Amino acid sequence: MTIFMQSLISGILIGGVYALIGIGMTIIFGVMRVINFAHGDLLMLGMYGTFYLFTLFNIDPFISIVVIIPLMFLYGGFLQKMFINRILGTLPQNQILLTIGLGLVMSNSVMLAFTSDYKILSTSYSSSSFDILGISISTPLLISFAITAVITVALYWFLLKTDTGQAIRATAQDREAAQLMGINVKRMSIIAFGLGASLAGAAGALISPTYYIFPQVGSTFTLKAFVITVLGGMGSIVGATLSGILIGVAESIGGVYFGAGWKEVVVFVLFLLVLLLKPSGLMGKSNV
Amino acid sequence: MKPLFKNIGVLPAMAGLVVIVLLFLLPRFVESTYALHIMILIFISIVMGSSWNLLGGYTGQYSVGHCAYFGMGAYTTMMLMQFRQVPPWLGIWVGMAVALLVALIIGSICFRLRGPYFVLASIAVAEIFRVSALNLKDLTNGAEGILATDIPPLKIGGTIITDFSSKVPFYYTGLVFVLLVILVTWLLQNSKLGYYFQAIREDQDAAHSLGISLTIYKNVALSISAVLTSLAGSLYAVYVGFIDPSTVLALDLSVQIVLICIIGGIGTIFGPVIGALVLVPLSEALRSNVIGESLINSGVVSADSAFGGFLTENLSHAHVLIYGVLVVVVILFMPDGVLGFAKKLAFGKRKEAA
Amino acid sequence: MFGKIQATALALILALPVAAHAAKVKIGFVNSITGPEAPIGENLTNGVTLALEDLKKKGIDVELVREDDTGKPEKSMAAFEKMATRDKVAGIVGPYSSKCANAIAKLAEKYKTPLLIPVASKEEITRQNLKWTFRLSATTYDYATILLDMATSLGRPKTIAIINENTDFGTSGAKSAKDYAGKKGIRVVAEEAYAPGSPDYRSTLTKIKSKNPDLVFMVSYVADAILLMRQSREIGLTPQAFLGAGAGFATVAFAKERAISNGVFSSTQWTGDVNWPGAKDFNKRYIAKFGKEPTYHAATAYESMMIMAETAAKAGDNREKLRLALKSGSWNGIMGEVKFADYEGYTNQNKHQMLVEQIQNGAHQTVYPPKYVSKKPVYPFPGWK
Repeated sequence: MTIFMQSLISGILIGGVYALIGIGMTIIFGVMRVINFAHGDLLMLGMYGTFYLFTLFNIDPFISIVVIIPLMFLYGGFLQKMFINRILGTLPQNQILLTIGLGLVMSNSVMLAFTSDYKILSTSYSSSSFDILGISISTPLLISFAITAVITVALYWFLLKTDTGQAIRATAQDREAAQLMGINVKRMSIIAFGLGASLAGAAGALISPTYYIFPQVGSTFTLKAFVITVLGGMGSIVGATLSGILIGVAESIGGVYFGAGWKEVVVFVLFLLVLLLKPSGLMGKSNV
Repeated sequence: MKPLFKNIGVLPAMAGLVVIVLLFLLPRFVESTYALHIMILIFISIVMGSSWNLLGGYTGQYSVGHCAYFGMGAYTTMMLMQFRQVPPWLGIWVGMAVALLVALIIGSICFRLRGPYFVLASIAVAEIFRVSALNLKDLTNGAEGILATDIPPLKIGGTIITDFSSKVPFYYTGLVFVLLVILVTWLLQNSKLGYYFQAIREDQDAAHSLGISLTIYKNVALSISAVLTSLAGSLYAVYVGFIDPSTVLALDLSVQIVLICIIGGIGTIFGPVIGALVLVPLSEALRSNVIGESLINSGVVSADSAFGGFLTENLSHAHVLIYGVLVVVVILFMPDGVLGFAKKLAFGKRKEAA
Repeated sequence: MFGKIQATALALILALPVAAHAAKVKIGFVNSITGPEAPIGENLTNGVTLALEDLKKKGIDVELVREDDTGKPEKSMAAFEKMATRDKVAGIVGPYSSKCANAIAKLAEKYKTPLLIPVASKEEITRQNLKWTFRLSATTYDYATILLDMATSLGRPKTIAIINENTDFGTSGAKSAKDYAGKKGIRVVAEEAYAPGSPDYRSTLTKIKSKNPDLVFMVSYVADAILLMRQSREIGLTPQAFLGAGAGFATVAFAKERAISNGVFSSTQWTGDVNWPGAKDFNKRYIAKFGKEPTYHAATAYESMMIMAETAAKAGDNREKLRLALKSGSWNGIMGEVKFADYEGYTNQNKHQMLVEQIQNGAHQTVYPPKYVSKKPVYPFPGWK
């Protein structure tokens, strides 16, 4: 029972970070219908940013998101404006490859700049935990889970209550109609990609104290982001939040009962099952 | 897409024939095994690119999980050869059969999905195969991979045709496979089946309403594509002599396959050929730092200068970066691939002349 | 006996012309400069850089042909073929990973070009009766045996849990551990192979904790080693000893994490404080030049390049002579005594002495075998702080 509860709790906590990655991806997909293969690399950039803010300026990783989020927003907007907006009308496979190409450029530039060494961000609380009824809870993960929750709520508020947010949702629902209504669709795309990038960057920052950093770290997370996005219903933020947590739990529990090596298969099978039974995902109907 | 040679002109046919003959004669003149090695890699790339092209280019189903079929071919042939002493020229057939079976299973699952969902589902299925190959240690040797100790010599009635000790038999096998996939592509392009495929690509719903069964024809396209892809996998496995899940069942490989087609130009017979001819030598040149070296050797850049130092020290680190930049450039400025771009250039020039 | 005389004679003949003038040799070096293995590949590159400096001091001018294999077997083949046929190098050092080494070991035979593998440790590589392939490092099996030998000499462990990364090195390391544990009468109570790069191993570790093993044996690369130990501390896993099979546990980054690394043992091919000639000096110079401590990968690459270049300088352009000289020669450098021997099914395999180091207060200390000890081992595990 302790083993089950322990896996459940650590699964939920890790799932919070996964959710953040998934939400970023789902916003990008919802607005542009582009599958962002560079999502993990954006996360990687967030990690490096956090790492250098910590080692050079001694800024705590959890505080550094205040810097990382706007920086990544600008960077994401730049990518959208310079590259992705140019190919929005073209074939979908070109969009996929463009993001793959951008991802390669990002990870390899970072490698050239900072070498391929693993970087470990060690804070005083990196491995601290506390015990509740025999279940250990990692302090940094709990903090990052709380921050994730705050970010998600803020994002909701932004999308539901602000004019820009509503314009983004309108664009996601029907691009052409939105354009006819006088919404600057290209601008909305830039904002959406900026948001996606800043969420990925934030996830990178939050995971840094308990994880490690290297130029190719992104690919694992890109794959996870795909699964989360589809599972939740492409474009659905609630869906991405739930499925992020679901994936965290499935990995954790699957790892215990099927062996650590099979936990990825558990996730992918779950993914395929959902696709087959409910192709639009868990929360498929609601768009962004 | 217009077929390149629907009514083959005498001249292009002759030119094609000459190229084929020259390719067959090549190993007699080329001593360098390094050159042959690159040629074999190009052949493998053409085979996998062209096979994907049948599904992705002609039928419009962008599978980013084609490493599954490549891996099936590679693993089946290799496992039969290493663990059951079945020679590879028989193993290849089993590999094709396995790939076909896998394709039918994957197809029946994934073709219920469309567009981006299909792309992601194809990735997921391929990942399931990779992780399974990693974990089914008794069957596949897991992460340790399979190392070929030796290949039995090919005999026909007591006379040894080849003992696979040189690159030449692999070269010819690759060349034959290439001709085979090109032939299949050409036949398809001009057949009713090919028209069905293209109809599905252009508009699934319209095709469906015309009575073209989407399930059947998508699966047919995938099956042909998968079987041919497995050939590339089998050849790779036997040629390199070592496989493991992270080389033959990796997402990287699937992306590479798609890249070959997109760079060359999808939905054309020679797109993947051009793609492979561009990508393989390019990545090899970047990897071995030929560009940096030649700049220094030709005296353009001094080896002792800061820039020369940068080239020798860093260019070898930067080759994937350059590769990435190229991908971005091609997608942005040559959306129809190199072949499409060249055509456009030629067309534009002709217009100017007129 | 006759062979020895022959070898000595040959060595004499080969040695004569050298003294006269500075030799120039062309050596190939294939390594994972980019790709997933790049972080470790960099150590090999650095080791070779130092070797080139030292060779220059010895009057041997090495023209180095560097090739990147990006961690892929077919690329390493291309690199090998280019170096062997177009660049016409005397001999080749590398590659880093076992899968690349596997792919090119046979090419060495085909092109009759000596290949000296610094650190790729898969057993099979030198078990194929290949005459042109040499290996400096010990094999994967030894990573496990030395640790269990040590554990049984220090305490009386009865059970062991094995956690390994699901990669080539990880799987074969775990297999060796299981095999050798059986021979030592230690019962395997848990076996977990994990996919590297996962942020959460807590559930797996909890499961292992519930089995209460005396020894926890881990095979992990750099970063996962830190994660596994951090999370072991979180959930309070406390066996008699944590045994790490090289790789991640032997790195400085790991040692620096004092809260989690204290008391952890790891098997290694080399340590910075071992009393092999020049090892301590190499350690110092490496830190001065690259700003970090060398790993055993760097040391093996350094020594391989030294051996290959020095021998090639004596052998001239003749590859066959070079091969014979490698086969018959013996060296004593920063990797201890090196001799490429044929034994127990191996060919041209250096019977390298593995070491065990323990992290004590943030530094690696050589603790086993007794002959090489720099500090006494702390056993059993003192518990988490």
